[in-house]
Formats: sequence, structure tokens, C-alpha cells
Amino acid sequence: MTRPDRTIETPSPSPARGTAADGAATMPYPLVPERQRTAGRLRRAFARKLAIYTGVAATSAVLLFPLYWMLVTALSPRTRLREFPPRLWPEEPQWDVFHDLLATQPFGRWMWNTSLVALSTMILSLSVSVLAAYALSRHKLRGGQSLGLFILTAKMLPATLMVIPFFVIFRSVGLVGSLWSVVLAQSTLIVPFATWMLKGYFDTIPDELEQAALVDGCSPLGTIWRIVLPVAAPGLAATALYAFVLSWSDFLYARTFLTTSQSKWTLNLGIATLKGEFITDWNVIMAGSLMAAAPIIVVYLFLERFLVGGLTAGAQK
Amino acid sequence: MNWPKGSTASVIDFSSPRHRTKFGYLLMAPAVILMALIIVYPILLSVDISLQDVRIARVGGASEPWTLANYRWLATSAEFWNAVFVTIKLVAVVGGVSLAIGLGTALLVNQRFKGRSVARLLVALPWAVPEVVAVVIWAWMLDSSFGIINWALQVSGLLSAPVEFASNATAAFFAVSAVMIWKGYPFVSIMLLAGLQSIPEEHHQAAQVDGASTWQRFLYITLPGLAPVIGVTMVMTTLWVFRDFAIIFVLTRGGPIGATSTLSILTWEQSFGFFRMGQGAAVGVVTMIICALISRALVGRFAQSVH
Repeated sequence: MTRPDRTIETPSPSPARGTAADGAATMPYPLVPERQRTAGRLRRAFARKLAIYTGVAATSAVLLFPLYWMLVTALSPRTRLREFPPRLWPEEPQWDVFHDLLATQPFGRWMWNTSLVALSTMILSLSVSVLAAYALSRHKLRGGQSLGLFILTAKMLPATLMVIPFFVIFRSVGLVGSLWSVVLAQSTLIVPFATWMLKGYFDTIPDELEQAALVDGCSPLGTIWRIVLPVAAPGLAATALYAFVLSWSDFLYARTFLTTSQSKWTLNLGIATLKGEFITDWNVIMAGSLMAAAPIIVVYLFLERFLVGGLTAGAQK
Repeated sequence: MNWPKGSTASVIDFSSPRHRTKFGYLLMAPAVILMALIIVYPILLSVDISLQDVRIARVGGASEPWTLANYRWLATSAEFWNAVFVTIKLVAVVGGVSLAIGLGTALLVNQRFKGRSVARLLVALPWAVPEVVAVVIWAWMLDSSFGIINWALQVSGLLSAPVEFASNATAAFFAVSAVMIWKGYPFVSIMLLAGLQSIPEEHHQAAQVDGASTWQRFLYITLPGLAPVIGVTMVMTTLWVFRDFAIIFVLTRGGPIGATSTLSILTWEQSFGFFRMGQGAAVGVVTMIICALISRALVGRFAQSVH
């Protein structure tokens, strides 16, 4: 009597397994046991991970080697740089190269000049751009669209052309050799850049807040100052940094306007000239390069998200 | 507001809707004036200079009569056509290689894995290095007697004698390309990564359900979705190569014998190397027109987003 009972019970195991078996029967690959399948999946996932990490490691190694090499060279003793094979690791780091640099070259002066130029350009461009960008974003103005297109095109102007009329103008007003010449010339690129970037940020901020402030009796300028700018602070910071980085990296204008007096040089001009003059002292040149690149790299590492956001914002539209 | 009637008449109340537009123009004024002074006027002046047969141009006083001499010089000058050729070659090499590596990198760091944000940070780092610094590092690595690249090439048996990157025309061109790719390709990968992230995940999932292979998904979903961003990025890279000055100038100064002399370098060398500003400005104006034509593609795409 037990047998018929069993035969009735066996075809009905747990409902979950039943559906799994049914599904397996209709699927194209039902024959591989489940444990083996997960093993295969794990192996494939592992291979994928391995490929990704190898790819990332190889790419970063190749890409970052020049920067690493700058560091190693800066810290190597001068004589070691003429030995083969090159040493890939600085055995006894020579930190006094930075002292040498500051003592033998007006390096501190160049750093000061560069900071001064970058900060002035940033402040000048931003204070003008914020207002224009706000107007372009919020007010429907006649000529607003053509101004927008003009700004966009101005970003593409070849600086090597602009430098000619600037030289002529600055010579006639006696600005050649002054840091202001570089600040003004750089603004040709940075004002359009900043205006365009800020307009993008303002466009993303809904204007209800401002309407409310205006209704509550806040003046239009007060609204910009108290409501819009605080809300747009991340965008402002990104744009300011961007302006700073662009200005810090300039070489063309400094090379054209500032060559005459060494005390007016910027870092980039100084380093490029060192490269021309002191071919053998690569450790000194690399130490200088390190100091010129470090502020920008630090800014980038901490604020990559802002900078990249600003960079790609325009392209996404 | 209980102001006497007389005083309200003299002060424009910008918060009233009637004067809203005026306020807009007022906000715009400083930027417009500044741009007129530092962009529009210099451009007009450079066109003016390019039409004068001058060595060192001046403003004010008697200017030279207008002539097309500089443009006639352009048309017949071997230097100019060489610069056009070098620029096109450089655009092709730098643009092509940057796109290939940039796309590869973007696809790589778009995968899901631990440490992805650090990887994204690292692969874009050269973008943040000032151009002059980038060039100086590479100049040292490419040094003909003690540079590590020459050493590596010789040790690996690829070369028997060191390459003189400064005096060999082909080597100098590739050295310039290498630096430009190193400096410029992170921008391409940043842009393409942003493009990849804007492709909806559902498209991939739908294709996967339909049985599309990885390669098919790349070909029929990723690439078409990425096409506009690729277009914008390539236009911007092209414009960058056209306009760049620092990398080539510091590395080779356009040499040897013009092998790396692009239109930008020629513009500057004519104007400030030989002080023939008329001819330099003519080269520059032609470069500007080419850049404007190239950027039309870009501006056209952006035009809708301006209001």
C-alpha cells in the first residue's frame, strides 16, 4: 500500500524546484548543472575583473610615467642623470635642489608673478562674466543670441593671431613688460569661457527663488548677490578654478610681452627659458616644473568633479 | 514707499517689470565693453595690419596704405604651404590616435569596478599639467644622449643608435605628436566618458535580451549614441592642434627646417621672430578663418542652446 502513495508523492516536490525544472526544460542550455554554471560565471567575472584592472594599471602606468619621471629626475643628483642605465628610483633624494632653484634663479618671484596674474585674470574675468552670464540666462534681450554665438566663437580664436594686435596696442600705451598686459590678453579667452560656463550653471537654477525675493522687496542686484550667487556657488567655484588653471598655464602671452625683464617672468616662461639655457641641469628644470605643476595638479585632484563637470557641460547639450 | 514724486522720476526702479530688460542690458554692459576692447578691436586691428606692408606695426599716426602684398606672399610662399601641410598632418595623427586611445580608456573606466573613480582621476591627470611643464618633461625623456626613451629603444633592440629628436625631421614630428597626444587625449576620454554615461542603460539591456553580442552592442548602440560627442570632441581637438603654440614652440620651435612648423608657429615666428608683422598677421587671419569654418560645425550644434 505504501508504493502507490510514494508514486503519487514523488512527482510533486517543492513548488519552487518544480518551476525551476520546467524552466530548465524549455531553456536552450538545460544540461549544465547549476553549480558548474555559477563556477563558470565566477570564472568569467574574475577574468573580466582581471582584464579591467590590468587595463587600468597599464594605462595609468604609461600615462603617469612622465610625471613620475619628473619627480625622480628632480630628486636625483646631477651626476646620476648622465649614467646608464637610468635609475628608476631615487636612492638618496636630493631635496636641496629646491633650495638651489630658489637661490640661483628668481624662482620665488616667478611664482609670485604667476599667482598674481592668475588671480587678477580670474577676478577680472569672473566679475564681468557673472553679470553677463546672468543676463544671458535670465533676460530675453535683443541681440542676446548673437552675443552668445559671438562668445562661443571667441573661444576658438587663435591666440597667436591676437597676440599681434595686442603687442602693437600695448607698445603704444607702454604696457609691454607689465604683468597687466598678460592679464588683459588672457581675458580674451577667459571672459568668453567663463561667461559660457556660468550661463550653463544659471540655466540649471530655477528662477522661482529670485521671483520670490523680488516680490519680497529685494532689489534686483541684491537678488543676484544674496540669492543667485550663493545657490550657484559650486558653479562659480568651478569657473573660477577653470579661469585660474587656464591663466596659470599661459605661455604665449608671457613669452611675447614679458621677455625683456627677468623679474617679470612667469613660471612657464622661466621654465621654458631654463630648458633652453641649462640643458645639463635637468634636475633643476624638473624641480621647477614640479613646483609649477603641483598647484594645478592639487586643484585637479581635489576638485576633479567640478572641473570635469564644467568641461563636459557644454558638450552635453 | 513714501518717496516724494520728484525723486522717483530721476531714479529708475529696476525691480519693476517695465525696466527689467534695461537691467539686463546694464548687467551685460561691462562684458560687452570689455570684449569690444580686447576681442573685437584687436581682431579688426589684426586684419588692418595684415593689409599693410609693415615690419613692426603701430597704432595711431599714419598707417601704411592697404595692399594685398602679404596675401600674395602667402599664396606663393613655400613656408605657408608647408605649415598648412604640417598642421593637417598633425591634426590627423593627434586626432586619430587621441580618439582611438581616448575611446578605449573611456570604455575601460566606464565599466563597473572597485576604485573606478580613482582610475578616472588618474587617466585624466595629464590634462591638468601645464603645457610647458608637459613639454619640458618630454624634452628630457626624449633627450638624445641621456633621455630614457632613447635608452629604452636601444636596450630593447629597436634602435642601434640614439635618435636625434631635435635634428631629425621625422623624429621631431613624432615627438611633437607624442606630447600633444599625451596632453590632449585625456580631454577626449573625459568627453567620451560623459557621452557614454548619457547613453541609457536600458538600451544595452534591451539589446542584451535580444541576444546581441558585446561587439554588436558596441557597434549598434554605443557608437551611434556616442557619435555627436565624438563629433564635438574631434572638432575641439582639431581647433586645439590648430591653435596650440606652447608645445611645439618649446619643444622644437617649429624646426628642424619647418618640419613641425604649424600655422600658429609660422604666425608667431613671422611676427616676433623676424618682425614681419604684416605677413604674420596675414597667416593669422587665414588661420582664424579656417578655425571659424571648423567651429561652425560646433556653433551650429550649440546654437539651439543659446536661448
